[in-house]
Amino acid sequence: MQIICISRGTFSGGKKLAEALAEKLGFDCLAREELTDMATASGIPVGKLEMTVVRRRPMTEAMIIERERYKAFVTSVLCERARSRGLVYHGRTGHLVLPGVTHVLRLRAILDPEQRVLSAMDRLRLSREKAQSYINDVDEDRHRWVRTLYNADWKDPTSYDLVVNLSHMSVENAATALVSMAQLPEFQATPATKQKIDDLLLASRCRLALGSDPRSRDMDVKVRSDGGIVSVTYLPRHEGKAELIPEVLATVPDVNEVLCTMASTNVLWIQGKFDPQSESLEQIVDIATRWNAAVELMEIKDEEEPASPAPESLTPEQKSDAGFPYSSENGGILDDEAFDYETELDEGLRKTRQRLISAGRAGGYRVLKGCPKDVLSSIDRTVDYNLVVVGDLCPSKGSSVSKRRTQEMVSYLLDNMHVPVIEASEMKSQFMFGPAQFMKLLGFAAMVVIMVFGVMSHQKDVLEFISKGTCLFSACEEVGMSNRILSALAIALFVPVFAFCYGGFTRFIFRILRFD
Amino acid sequence: MHEFLLGSYFIELDWMTVGQVILLGFIGGTLSGFIGSGGAFFMTPGMMNLGVPGPVAVASNITHKFGKAMIGSREHGKMGHVDKKLAVFMLVTAALGINLAVWVMKLMFSDAGGHGHHSRGAGADLYISLVFSGVLILVSVSMLRDIIKSRKTQDSTPSRKIIDFLNKLNLHPMISFPVADVKVSLWVILICGLATGYLAGTIGVGGFIGVPAMIYVFGISSQVAAGTELFLAMFMGAYGALNFALQGMVDLRLTLMLYLGSLVGIHLGVYGTKVVREVIIRLVTSLIILLCVISRMIAIPVYMRKLGYIAYPSDLDVYFNMGSKALLYISGIGGMLMILFFVFKAYFQRRKVSASLVSSRQGAS
Repeated sequence: MQIICISRGTFSGGKKLAEALAEKLGFDCLAREELTDMATASGIPVGKLEMTVVRRRPMTEAMIIERERYKAFVTSVLCERARSRGLVYHGRTGHLVLPGVTHVLRLRAILDPEQRVLSAMDRLRLSREKAQSYINDVDEDRHRWVRTLYNADWKDPTSYDLVVNLSHMSVENAATALVSMAQLPEFQATPATKQKIDDLLLASRCRLALGSDPRSRDMDVKVRSDGGIVSVTYLPRHEGKAELIPEVLATVPDVNEVLCTMASTNVLWIQGKFDPQSESLEQIVDIATRWNAAVELMEIKDEEEPASPAPESLTPEQKSDAGFPYSSENGGILDDEAFDYETELDEGLRKTRQRLISAGRAGGYRVLKGCPKDVLSSIDRTVDYNLVVVGDLCPSKGSSVSKRRTQEMVSYLLDNMHVPVIEASEMKSQFMFGPAQFMKLLGFAAMVVIMVFGVMSHQKDVLEFISKGTCLFSACEEVGMSNRILSALAIALFVPVFAFCYGGFTRFIFRILRFD
Repeated sequence: MHEFLLGSYFIELDWMTVGQVILLGFIGGTLSGFIGSGGAFFMTPGMMNLGVPGPVAVASNITHKFGKAMIGSREHGKMGHVDKKLAVFMLVTAALGINLAVWVMKLMFSDAGGHGHHSRGAGADLYISLVFSGVLILVSVSMLRDIIKSRKTQDSTPSRKIIDFLNKLNLHPMISFPVADVKVSLWVILICGLATGYLAGTIGVGGFIGVPAMIYVFGISSQVAAGTELFLAMFMGAYGALNFALQGMVDLRLTLMLYLGSLVGIHLGVYGTKVVREVIIRLVTSLIILLCVISRMIAIPVYMRKLGYIAYPSDLDVYFNMGSKALLYISGIGGMLMILFFVFKAYFQRRKVSASLVSSRQGAS
């Protein structure tokens, strides 16, 4: 069950490369166009969705729901095909629809712009200018499509394992080279990635079931699955229909449990090891309650843990299913074991999850192993996160290493996610109200009172100082430019300082009133 | 009539006036937090109705906006909603626009004498009122048309007509803005920047032009538009405030009083945007602006009479002023009450929300 995704621009040779590679590997080859036809046949208005994106119309609520249905459809088809045998998919976003499935070989096919123009001129019988314009327009549309659907940059080379330039290499030779690459252990399925594919498949089936049922069709929901436990978050305006969710999902096979949470937004909590007794948990519950947010847990296992031997429990069929013989020289890929969600969840994570469920704030969980980039690639970038909290990572390695890793993670996510990312230890100062905040509140209040009193009790002096036609230090009649500059600078300094102090004061007051 | 301090620039503040300016700030702040920009459209004429000369009202308001934008853009920056490249491009022309506006205003203010103490500045007041009415009536009618049209098409998003038209023109050079994720012609940016700066300098309402321009003309998302506008407003506000301060027109007392109300209002308004649907936000916004514009238009005959353009018994001035004031307060207070209604409804519903979560979860498991 190997998956190879080739991202291609128009007239870039990606389709031919995908077909050649699939033939050499004996895999199925699936084109985006086939997938689109299937989605349209199943009732998803893909054409309308494309027009919305191409015409750069902001997404309506109805279109957002169709977008989610389309994404779920693509995910379900890819996962189903990948479960049965190897798959080569070529389109725009194959590498993005399977977040967290680390064994996907993600390729991008490119071609010299001149060759692309010549191909377009030849095939579409266009003039050079029109062919150039056509290619630019299609590339721009695809860039926009990827941005709209997955909030990612299509052209970012770091999204791919390899960028294949077909300008100086035949498609056949490129495919031959890629066959060797596809044999590398990094691109073989592991029990963990298989579990991930099962989770994505179940989540997408549930999303499609909710989208197909006329009663729940117009609900804007996010669905996640973790080992048969399906977490659904829905917006407050769909509160009246919430009870339909478990009813609809009861018809979906493999669903063991449904957890519904009403949430306007999401908080992502990343931690090395969750502790249900920690102060952070209560702080997060408090913040999530104030914001009406669902809390998604992400436990990061230490990536440098000793490698485990190949799982004994795997049958030879399972091993061959992975498409690569297990061996001791397999690049450590077998470190990545699947979790038995019922028995192997560590107690801390299970209890933390239970606490969130009892608070009505649970938004699903996942267990990962890897570096910040792996964490980022496993996050659904279209989910509306209001805050990302990073707790101690690698706690077993001591406080110094843990602190460094945590700070690295915060910096990396901050640069890439465009949402507030803070360390768990900062929650208290940023969102809670304690003695330190009370002292700050008093400080701000004192500053505000002094400034207001100072100005209002010396109105005439202040106005003389700031108005033209008066002098600063003496009763002179002439107005000097230096005085004007001085008064202008004084205003320019005084005003932001007052805004900062009074802004801080009101922020703390509203925090006390739980009004954020 | 108010007493003036230091000639005719600054009014004397009594407790009643202080309370009214704080209330203006609160209403402006609530509207600003809810709508995402401005608030000045209420505060500037509001202060003028209290007897503050137009240029001093604009100067105090733009100075107040400078500090507010500084705090706001920092918060937006944390969310990645600030396109600094776009802001820099607009800043240069916006600065020119502000300078032009300040120069025009100073010219009008100084030339307006000759009709007695009370008519001093009537020319500037008339000019501000006309620009204010013309521009904001265009904005509010466009927004209302968009909303009415969207009811038919079930599409609650802003019109794309201008963007589609400009895309067809393809005016080179096109500049790419990665954060906002758009490509816009340099010429379009420069024209919008100049207009934003000029209006910010004239009526202190830059955001009401800048944000719709970014959404309707550049095609960027409303969050990035609001964040970038605040970043821009920080520099424009600083520049405008310095310019006005050099002319000695900033009334620091009014600026402080505005802050006392506006920063509280902003918190409530921003909270409102999280709990109210976008179409309602835009409907409330356009209605408030329209009423506010009508209020200013009612006051125009007074300025025209003072300048000798029209003639009617001066006794009627009080009715025009009263009508203008009443409508302004109705629009602002009505809008604020609507927003506060949604805000407190959502705030007190939180207990109910938790209860429903438990029952739905029990149903699910």
